[in-house]
Amino acid sequence: MKKLIFSVVLAFAASFSSHAATDGIAWDKAPDRLNDLGALQNGAKLFVNYCLNCHSASYMRFNRLSDIGLTEQQIKDNLLFTTDKVGETMRVTMDPKQAKEWFGGNPPDLTLIARSRSGPGGSGVDYIYTYLRTYYRDDTKPTGWNNLAFPNAGMPHVLWELQGQRSPVFEEIQSHGNPVQVLKGWTQVTPGKLSSAQYDSDVADLVNYMQWMSDPTQGTRVRVGVWVMLYLLVFFFIAWRLNAAYWKDIR
Amino acid sequence: MSDTTVDTDKRTWLIATGCAGAVGGAAVAVPFISAFSPSERAKAAGAAVEVDITAIKPGQKLTVEWRGKPVWIVRRTPEQLESLKKVEGQLADPESKRNPAELTPDYARNQARSIKPEFFVGVGICSHLGCSPSDKFQMGPQTSLPDDWQGGFFCPCHGSTFDMAGRVYKNKPAPDNLEVPPHMYLSDTRLLIGEDKKA
Amino acid sequence: MAEFKDISPDAPVADKALNWVDNRFPLSKLFKEHMSEYYAPKNFNFFYFFGVLSMLVLVIQIVTGVFLVMHYKPDADSAFASVEYIMRDVPWGWLIRYMHSTGASAFFVVVYLHMFRGLIYGSYRKPRELVWLFGCAIFLALMGEAFMGYLLPWGQMSYWGAQVIVNLFSAIPLIGPDLALLIRGDYVVGDATLNRFFSFHVIAVPLVLLGLVVAHIIALHEVGSNNPDGVEIKAQKDANGIPLDGIPFHPYYSVHDLMGIMGFLLVFCAIIFFAPEFGGYFLEYNNFIPADPLKTPLHIAPVWYFTPYYSMLRAITGEMMYALVLCVLAAGYLISTRANTNLSKAVIIGGAAALVVSMLAIDAKFWGVVVMGGAVVILFFLPWLDHCEVKSIRYRPDWHKYLYVIFVINFFVLGYLGIQPPSAIGERVSQLGSLYYFGFFLLMPWWSRLGQTKPVPDRVNFTAH
Repeated sequence: MKKLIFSVVLAFAASFSSHAATDGIAWDKAPDRLNDLGALQNGAKLFVNYCLNCHSASYMRFNRLSDIGLTEQQIKDNLLFTTDKVGETMRVTMDPKQAKEWFGGNPPDLTLIARSRSGPGGSGVDYIYTYLRTYYRDDTKPTGWNNLAFPNAGMPHVLWELQGQRSPVFEEIQSHGNPVQVLKGWTQVTPGKLSSAQYDSDVADLVNYMQWMSDPTQGTRVRVGVWVMLYLLVFFFIAWRLNAAYWKDIR
Repeated sequence: MSDTTVDTDKRTWLIATGCAGAVGGAAVAVPFISAFSPSERAKAAGAAVEVDITAIKPGQKLTVEWRGKPVWIVRRTPEQLESLKKVEGQLADPESKRNPAELTPDYARNQARSIKPEFFVGVGICSHLGCSPSDKFQMGPQTSLPDDWQGGFFCPCHGSTFDMAGRVYKNKPAPDNLEVPPHMYLSDTRLLIGEDKKA
Repeated sequence: MAEFKDISPDAPVADKALNWVDNRFPLSKLFKEHMSEYYAPKNFNFFYFFGVLSMLVLVIQIVTGVFLVMHYKPDADSAFASVEYIMRDVPWGWLIRYMHSTGASAFFVVVYLHMFRGLIYGSYRKPRELVWLFGCAIFLALMGEAFMGYLLPWGQMSYWGAQVIVNLFSAIPLIGPDLALLIRGDYVVGDATLNRFFSFHVIAVPLVLLGLVVAHIIALHEVGSNNPDGVEIKAQKDANGIPLDGIPFHPYYSVHDLMGIMGFLLVFCAIIFFAPEFGGYFLEYNNFIPADPLKTPLHIAPVWYFTPYYSMLRAITGEMMYALVLCVLAAGYLISTRANTNLSKAVIIGGAAALVVSMLAIDAKFWGVVVMGGAVVILFFLPWLDHCEVKSIRYRPDWHKYLYVIFVINFFVLGYLGIQPPSAIGERVSQLGSLYYFGFFLLMPWWSRLGQTKPVPDRVNFTAH
């Protein structure tokens, strides 16, 4: 009977399927570069140069960037834009009222964005990776830009110089008897400084940096965890033998 | 309790469990005890402070905060530097021999207790019970001060007095000279308080 | 000093010290009564680990909680930031935080399994009713503790979950809105709410929990533990008064529980170190966004351990009220036929009628709250609902076993539906599920008497290890 319950429970666990609850397009899977220090450093550079103008990352200390292989001097020389003290956090002083006027809302803090945007469609990193690569020109919007992953986003395409301007190409297919618009590809309207592949790679670096920034202790956590599990396996074995040593008395 | 093989079996595993438990217990204690130590925020707030000393005129004192403590930078006049020799007989520890590791770094073990004689850098906290002494730079008789007062500091809480190099006078409640914090000159005009070349 | 026990002056120091204490405090006596001479049945199985695991998780939560409170700030403006401070700036703070968040979910896993053991082996039956009652009180206190603790990180889910649940109290007729105001300390969930929830979560409810746990264990030790066969081991004692099927808790169950604890820690630490968010179920993604009173997230759901009850709450719609009215009328009729006097018949029918009137008059939202609360409260009555001749599921008629299996599946289904956004099919299924849940308990006095039970042995089933 217990076996019956167990198998039913397992079947249920397996059936926790994902439901797409987002109102944008499906998310692409971002490449995993969390163990690539070079990629993370490039991502940090892009983040500080492009994002920190409007967005804060107020839980992220500049000197913590040494965890991804940068020296304090490198941080001070290349990345210390918003403050002069390397121990301070990445705070930005945009006035929320003005931000509301210009963008329709206060640019959210980005420290935890990669953790908070996870959902049934994928991880938060997947979302941001898709978001930064699906901007298109839309003159009906106040910023002149719209986005396929986050329709009617208030944020303009800050990376447009790198990606250039693009236009999505849709095709109509039949789904369950109804016509549905599906994204077929993109046309490049004006070129950017980077090729499509280079841009995608840079964005991958950036989102991986943001993933690291949202959970900077994850590397240590996994490393310590391996040792903890080994220790517990050994201790479990010892406890099991100790138990057997006593219980063989019981008839 | 009669069969020795059963006994040794239990004993072996009890010892193994004990050792494993002790190791585990110590390992678990580490993160919890570490959580008591200063956080990154505290360390950032306690970071060294850079000061521009060009604006300080002779005879003036500038106060900056480092690790929550007031640090004085006094630009001493030639008379004030002269006075340091005159008062030595009245001081409890004129050569700063007491607690040198805590109070007087190597580069301050000289008569002026400073790197540059002109600039005295010291923590403005009385070594008695922690009040911040007041400036008494004017020489000559004043209330609560002796007639031959050569300039220095006076602590209002219990009356301790210090000279222009932060050295404590004899027979006062304060036992020690004022602390000279770790510091170094980044240039002629920039002083860094909180770090020195040794650190 | 006439009642002091003497000890030889040549005895070892340790013995003399123990003697000194024993003359002033019943240390050795307590150890004997509750450990080395507490005789527990020898046939405990896997389900019997969960009591000590519950205690372990309680200790873990308290210790990690103490260290978190050193750095946490219970202020609406700084709470969220203080949690990130713990995660990033406090040395090893991230580990302490993950232990506490995983511990909260682990607590419910362990407690649900512990309660399930009680359910299937009849551990709530005479003479252990009080053990069960204290346990139900612990469960209620635990739910309150978890609910209040969840507000503290002050994320979007924290805020809006609290807002929704506190608003439920406002559905109570007459006193509701004032009660909700009193709980919140303000017109909406805010700083006042946060501070009082902090006080309750950190000191008030933990003290209550500790007291209830002590009472729970004392009550258990007074009557002795049950076992998977439901056999009363005290019925067969040897010449020394020791149950034939009993073994001293210490050392046999101390070492057994140590092994169980290590097994638990393997799973617990695997989650903490490799998947602390657990797919968004243990640390919800939305809670990494600071609380915004002006913006409700698209999808609010309570944390996974509350979802079965949340499902039942949502199932009580206007439509469902009609089905429930029919149930009340049917129950009123059936119970009145068993009544002996005309007076008691009249009282029962009258009561049922009054209840039906109030069910139709008061909003379904209120009855949803009643049902959700009732689903927990009904557990308290279990010792008096079960009229089966045998305690343990092992000796019950086979079809009883299927009822229990369906109960478990139903509980999981309700839980799953509680996580999903509302849907037409979901509503129907959770309505049926709620009816099954309540039917299982309320009809138990009847169905537990039916069927052919198997003969219960005098001695427990045990195979030597």
